[in-house]
Amino acid sequence: MYKFFIVIVIVILALGALFTMNSPPNKAFITNQGEDTVSIINLDTFQVEKRIKVGKKPLGITILKNKSIALVGNVESQDLSVIDLKKNVVIKTLALKATPLGLTHNKDETEIYVTDWFNSQIFVINSMNFEIIKKIPVGKTPSGIAFNEKYSFIVISNRDSNSVEIYTEKEMRLEKKIMVGKHPYGISTEGDYIYTANVYDDSITVINLTNWQTKEIKVGDHPYNVIKINDQLFVTNSLDDNISIIDTKTFTEILKIPTGETPENLWVDKKNNRLVISNWGSDSISIINLHDMKNIKEVKSGLQSRAFGDFILN
Amino acid sequence: MKKYLFLMITLLLSFQLFAHGPTPQKVQESLVINAPADKVWTMVKDFCNIHNWHPAVEKTTCEKKGEDTFRTLVLKSGETVYEKLRGVDDDLMKLKFEIVKSPNPFTDFNSYLIVTKGSTDNESTVQWTARFYRLYKLNPPIPEGQDDATAKAAAQAIVDSGLKGLKKTLEAN
Repeated sequence: MYKFFIVIVIVILALGALFTMNSPPNKAFITNQGEDTVSIINLDTFQVEKRIKVGKKPLGITILKNKSIALVGNVESQDLSVIDLKKNVVIKTLALKATPLGLTHNKDETEIYVTDWFNSQIFVINSMNFEIIKKIPVGKTPSGIAFNEKYSFIVISNRDSNSVEIYTEKEMRLEKKIMVGKHPYGISTEGDYIYTANVYDDSITVINLTNWQTKEIKVGDHPYNVIKINDQLFVTNSLDDNISIIDTKTFTEILKIPTGETPENLWVDKKNNRLVISNWGSDSISIINLHDMKNIKEVKSGLQSRAFGDFILN
Repeated sequence: MKKYLFLMITLLLSFQLFAHGPTPQKVQESLVINAPADKVWTMVKDFCNIHNWHPAVEKTTCEKKGEDTFRTLVLKSGETVYEKLRGVDDDLMKLKFEIVKSPNPFTDFNSYLIVTKGSTDNESTVQWTARFYRLYKLNPPIPEGQDDATAKAAAQAIVDSGLKGLKKTLEAN
């Protein structure tokens, strides 16, 4: 009986190991604004597998995993490139006559949301036929955009209005507008909270969705974006070449980790439990192990790596 | 006439509303200097004496405003540039500064210089990176002289001549 048990355990472990080895690698899709490309980087091998030509000056990106597509916003050619994630080629270019900044999508991947920087509006796009469903006027120079799954809210940061606007998914009705720090650029949201990186204030703002209270926390020089992983916030300090880590229980900074030059955006590689950061200054990505908060690797991506959005296929 | 005046004022105001566009421009150059890194860093971080090595600068005047340090450069062309020191990191050997006001055809200019040790004790590398935006802050069409190329050419000239001047000064000593 005892032997049998051991055999079972060994079989389970072996299957587990096999499964882990065979599970497909996560990939980072990095928009390189200086060369009009997207680099696809294998996060297991750290190899750039492919560089895809997109429109002019690509910046924002969002990945629709179940639909197996990624959308890239090209600010200068004023269009969106649709990338097929099975073949890794551009299958469609959607003319917007607008300046697409931030991109995101709803939970069931039926709609794509895009901020239009110069025209101060957001687009709602059908992800099946890529038709524009709605345009909604918002505050000045809308930048970051994110989707809150708990409340089904679309949240945006308006850089030149110093505000955050919260819209309902169903009616695209303005639920609330809240003032934050100066020049909010990156925004993210999870559970009961929204976070913005305030570039000119060297701070982040935390918004509590249950009572609309806000809290400002000082970080480094010119913070660009902020995301939450487990009980911590990670903030790119673009002019300090590092990230701040903030404990969400106490809302205090607990650590700074060096990155490449001019870090801008960040996302999580869930499979390997790592943080990936795009570095505009050194044309690269930094990869940080979330177990011990140590730098593992810096990988050259392409000129002016930015990747504003959920740039990892998890 | 009144109509035009109104239009001009509206245009001026709209410029004020936007800080800058969505695509930062980049100039990044490196140069090997035949001098020890410590010596190079000492010269680079001396924020108030850039006229000692940058060929375009005639005179530097520094001032403190609270915790912040600013410098006014008088250029050999007679123009002036006002800059803010944003950080001196002795460990990274990195100096950061911002151009607050200048006659240059760019805006929101942030810049950093990094000194690294070379392959020998008497060799180092200086990397100068500038991040800035074109003057025109709205959608195309972009007026002549306010475009990306014009902004980039001006920044490139500052960086290129500065690095050459730094090398020349340090290697002459």
